[in-house]
Amino acid sequence: MSGALASASSPRPSSRRLVVAVAALLVISIGVQVVRDRGWQPYEPATPVLWFQSGSLLQRLSLGFQNVVADTYWIRAVVYYGGKRRSALNGRDFSLLDPLLTFVTTLDPKFKVAYRFGAIFLTEAYPNGPGRPDLAVALLQRGLAATPTAWEYAHDIGFVYYWWLEDYKAAAHWFAKGGQLPGAPSWLAPLAATTLAQGGDRQSSRLLWSQLGESEIEWIRRNAQHRLQQLHAMDVVDELNRLSQRFTTREGRPARDWRDLIVGERLRGTPVDSTGVPFELDPATGRVDVSRGSALFPLPWPGRGGPPAP
Amino acid sequence: MAAAIETEGLSKDFAVGFWRPRPYRALDRLTLNVAAGEVFGFLGPNGAGKSTALKLLMQLLYPTSGTARILGRPVGDVAVRQRIGFLAENPYYYDYLTAEELLAYFARLFGYRGADVTTRVSRVLDEVGIGKERRLRLRRFSKGMIQRVGLAQALLNDPEVVFLDEPMSGLDPLGRRHVRDLILGLRARGCTVFFSSHILSDAETLCSRVGVLVQGRLVASGPLSEILAFELKGWELVVAGVGAALSPELAQLARSVTPLSDGHVMLHLAPDAEPDRLLGELTRRGAHIVSLNPVRETLEDYFVQVVASTAARDARGVGA
Amino acid sequence: MRTIWIVAGAAFKESVRDRVPYTMVVFAVLMIAASFLIGELTAGQDLKIIKDLGLAAMSIFGLGIAVFIGIGLVSKEVERKSVHGLLTKPVTRAQFILGKYLGLLTTLVVNLSVMTLAYYAVLLYMDSTATAAVRASWAAPALDPRQLAAIVLIMGELALVTAVALFFSSFSSPLLSAMLTLGLWVAGHFNGDLRQFEQVVDQPAVAWIARTLYYLLPNLAPFNVRAEVVYGMPVLASHLGFTLLYAAVYIAALLVAAVAIFRRRDFK
Repeated sequence: MSGALASASSPRPSSRRLVVAVAALLVISIGVQVVRDRGWQPYEPATPVLWFQSGSLLQRLSLGFQNVVADTYWIRAVVYYGGKRRSALNGRDFSLLDPLLTFVTTLDPKFKVAYRFGAIFLTEAYPNGPGRPDLAVALLQRGLAATPTAWEYAHDIGFVYYWWLEDYKAAAHWFAKGGQLPGAPSWLAPLAATTLAQGGDRQSSRLLWSQLGESEIEWIRRNAQHRLQQLHAMDVVDELNRLSQRFTTREGRPARDWRDLIVGERLRGTPVDSTGVPFELDPATGRVDVSRGSALFPLPWPGRGGPPAP
Repeated sequence: MAAAIETEGLSKDFAVGFWRPRPYRALDRLTLNVAAGEVFGFLGPNGAGKSTALKLLMQLLYPTSGTARILGRPVGDVAVRQRIGFLAENPYYYDYLTAEELLAYFARLFGYRGADVTTRVSRVLDEVGIGKERRLRLRRFSKGMIQRVGLAQALLNDPEVVFLDEPMSGLDPLGRRHVRDLILGLRARGCTVFFSSHILSDAETLCSRVGVLVQGRLVASGPLSEILAFELKGWELVVAGVGAALSPELAQLARSVTPLSDGHVMLHLAPDAEPDRLLGELTRRGAHIVSLNPVRETLEDYFVQVVASTAARDARGVGA
Repeated sequence: MRTIWIVAGAAFKESVRDRVPYTMVVFAVLMIAASFLIGELTAGQDLKIIKDLGLAAMSIFGLGIAVFIGIGLVSKEVERKSVHGLLTKPVTRAQFILGKYLGLLTTLVVNLSVMTLAYYAVLLYMDSTATAAVRASWAAPALDPRQLAAIVLIMGELALVTAVALFFSSFSSPLLSAMLTLGLWVAGHFNGDLRQFEQVVDQPAVAWIARTLYYLLPNLAPFNVRAEVVYGMPVLASHLGFTLLYAAVYIAALLVAAVAIFRRRDFK
């Protein structure tokens, strides 16, 4: 058989050389793209316009594929938000986030993840997010209107009030409301009372975040762990500020660097936060805070200022 | 005489079945030699592999094994296509071109330029009998007209070898006559013609040599006179005005008697019936002789016999 | 080379007589109708909408021609067996493929040129009827020649899509080729997202896949500078140059691949 094949005078031509040429051309095309992408970013107009101004129009155009379109828009929202967070500081404009989330939840009003993550995205303070807790509350309220039994949304609304808006009365109201909904965990109703009594205190915050740390959704769990780390860092910062203050009172001048405190206050080496980044000491005032380079920055101080003066 | 077409052990397997493809042999070790100037009839029932063989010769298909040469050159040689013409089975050309444009297009591909293109195109269109329809787009052409366009394009370059796949299909009786004359004209010109057909009467009138393909295998090939032994199988005698003259004694001489219209009667006689004696007898009794014809084996008889015996052999092969 | 041009000429003639001219008529009617209808709306934004609409329509109509007629030129020819007549002429299979491609490219260039003329005619009309106040509100002048950059890139994109269509039709049926080509077109436009996707995901394997796809799939997002042009933003000459260079290299790869497959094919 192989002998007969070999004797064929007009066999099928081999394309090996052409295949090599195709591979070479593809490599060149990658090179061209790499060079081009150095000087090019997809353009976004200063006043971005979405093709569809209303979710209901898009819903009608989806022709029965609402859920697929919703999923697509959700992915776009996540990519949009994530891409913005990674972009240069001055290019961060989150203005399309809320419209995108509105599209997603209009197309698929039961899209739980979109409400819960969407709210987290929206509340994050600039430069990590648009810092719009008001929009987050509105989004979650639409979610609650679509699924009135979802205690998670009530809890999340309460949470936004508690953490971002520091309105403990409203937070307690929403926690209590969520606690009455079917399937709500037992800790939610007592949380309302705690919130009202000890609003803003670090211990109740820690309780709140620990509960979220038990969430079945990994992203929420990770976020909660991050917040718990921040709370811990705040405790450490308070303690360091106390030492620094003591140094200032004794020496009549603020500590210039950690060495002053290591020598004067018996600090055991340069203190680092839980991500391994050293805390920052302001030589002019002696005030301590987490480093701007730390993943924990900025810490959620009450009033979002800096660490309180001791 | 130089060979115009040679194949040796030419085979083609197709994979059949989607999930577990297994080879199906469409053409099995075809070895063939067609001399220049011959008209070769490639015969066989539908699905015998005639088109496969032609496509291998045109290198529309690549062989599984074996070789094929045209005019001494391997079939893959583009230059050899300059010297051949090909008509596909049920040809289709471009809907939105006119017959004239199509042929001009092909003529340019053959390398003709300028006025040469126009004269050639109008010459071949005349040859195949396409008149003023040549300015119509091909989508408005009937099957028979397309077939003529196909013939025209096969003749465009004054080919040395012409390959025709079922050239008579789709043609009306007049068209068939026309094609027959065309092929005879090509033969007179010294052009080699290789055509496939399952219509045997065409082959009988045109071919100097035939090959018979059954189930992918060449089961016979040779000059027509050799294939058909021209054995006398009997006589057909038609007489008129016999009436009662045909006595039972006479009728005994014939193998059978068939009454025809107008009082004509046809007698089938055995090969050894000595028709002269019978004729004399009949004339004497006042009968009028209308015709006397010898009955010989036809290509069709031969064909049926070959196909049947191949099938029988295969059946035995399977049984064993 | 002459053979390639002869095949291209016939392919051009065939496609021009097919449905291509209708798209130009539809485009002209659409542009004129839009300019009258939108003129009724608020002043100022209407020019932007006309430009958006016109450039988008050029792109979409061109896509339709590239996909449906582009596929018809090869895979329909194989399916209906007209290829038998052609390939038995002194034409190599590579010449056949390249000729078909050039023929369709010519069709697209002619088509896009006519649409560009219609587009500028409507813009000229808008310009001549606008008051100075309206004109001041425009982000870019009506007859801004920079729009030609966007049109050139549309042409580049269509040339690439045509090569994709030709590549698929070198081995698959017309319907499948059309679907695959449209699929790659969509993927090619989501490619920009793929690049951002890579920045967002944490798993290195996923990021690697996203990066590979970004570089290997036809990347069509850079061909779209319509927004820049409409808002009067500059389109860098280097971007134009690199994108067209990319188109040329990628088209060459597709055509070579198409030839590599097509020359080994059996035509039953």
